[in-house]
Amino acid sequence: MECDKCGTPAVMHAAYSGLHMCEEHFCRTVEKRVRRRIREDGLVPRDATPEDPETWVIGLSGGKDSVVLTQILQDVFAEDPRIELVALSIHEGIEGYRDESLDASVTLTDDLGIRHEVVSYDEEFDVRMDEVVEDDPEGMAACAYCGVFRRDLLSKYADELDADKLLTGHNLDDEAETALMNVLEGDVTQIAQHFDSSLGPFDADGDGPADRERPETDQHIPRAKPLRDIPEKEVALYARFEELPAHITECPHAEEAYRGEIQDLMLGLEENHPGTRHSIMAGYEKLAALAAEAYRSEDDRDADFGECENCGAPTGRDRCRKCNLLDALEAV
Amino acid sequence: MRVTVEIVGGETREVEVAVGDSYVDLLAPTDLSPHTVSILVDGTPVPEDQPVETDHVRVVRLVKGG
Repeated sequence: MECDKCGTPAVMHAAYSGLHMCEEHFCRTVEKRVRRRIREDGLVPRDATPEDPETWVIGLSGGKDSVVLTQILQDVFAEDPRIELVALSIHEGIEGYRDESLDASVTLTDDLGIRHEVVSYDEEFDVRMDEVVEDDPEGMAACAYCGVFRRDLLSKYADELDADKLLTGHNLDDEAETALMNVLEGDVTQIAQHFDSSLGPFDADGDGPADRERPETDQHIPRAKPLRDIPEKEVALYARFEELPAHITECPHAEEAYRGEIQDLMLGLEENHPGTRHSIMAGYEKLAALAAEAYRSEDDRDADFGECENCGAPTGRDRCRKCNLLDALEAV
Repeated sequence: MRVTVEIVGGETREVEVAVGDSYVDLLAPTDLSPHTVSILVDGTPVPEDQPVETDHVRVVRLVKGG
């Protein structure tokens, strides 16, 4: 089978588009789709200038997704004086697993010449995930603790690095799974927040089809996911073809059972009805925009936000979730 | 035709395919989704919808789960 674009042997078939592509044309279409997403989301603001550039922090785990994101962003913006990139890695205290992926992150950022900051739960909170899963004072999944700590550190360091945006490597499969979970759980508030925190365009007058944009907020660093149009397998293939130093194994503590069920369901649908993931997101984004608008007009959530009395992090309560979890771990 | 399907980091099995069957059909006896793996012939990925023209493939897991 030949590449639909040039006639050399094809290495992949995208059933949702019907295209067969060679390595070269496949890689170029991945980059093209990421650039289009950056444009449609209005990531580069009109008022960013070489004198007053924006700083984007990239959450770099060393896995295939964040490695591909970092590489493509560097290719696009290395010569653009309006954007400064900083990679941020977090060591959760998962021996072996995170050590190897941090090595991949260091290799990549050295190759690319990108500033790279590494922070750890150990130094920041005096906790290590390997021990948290043993103690487990709240009877929760490992990811529930880890997510709270990770969000706290990403937001703290985004602040310290004076970042304007936080970019993460979530791919199409990740986002479509999250969308399905939110819908099946009936969680409309969560859907509204999904739009305002990471899906909504920054500038709806940009080139994209969206006619609603997310509101500005002072409470959280705005997030964006430039890989969210690329299926997970294609991100992995890109990393392989471009010979990027990605670390590919699963976190030993991962136990998001429900997400696994949703993944099976979604990939089964995709197999029988190619394009399902894309259409889930196309419809979900429109619904999320409507939900966000309705919920914002009901009550201005920012008004409820204050600072954690212990650490000063933004929270809707007296004490933030991270401080409560750290107290619970301390008491074990 | 019998094809040796070697799952990298997993088991190797013999799969019987009919003339005209595609590479994706080699995954049928496994619990692997074509959206989580790449099928390699002589070290190069092949489009999964193409007819099988070899007696040995390697299957690389690209994505966890599935």
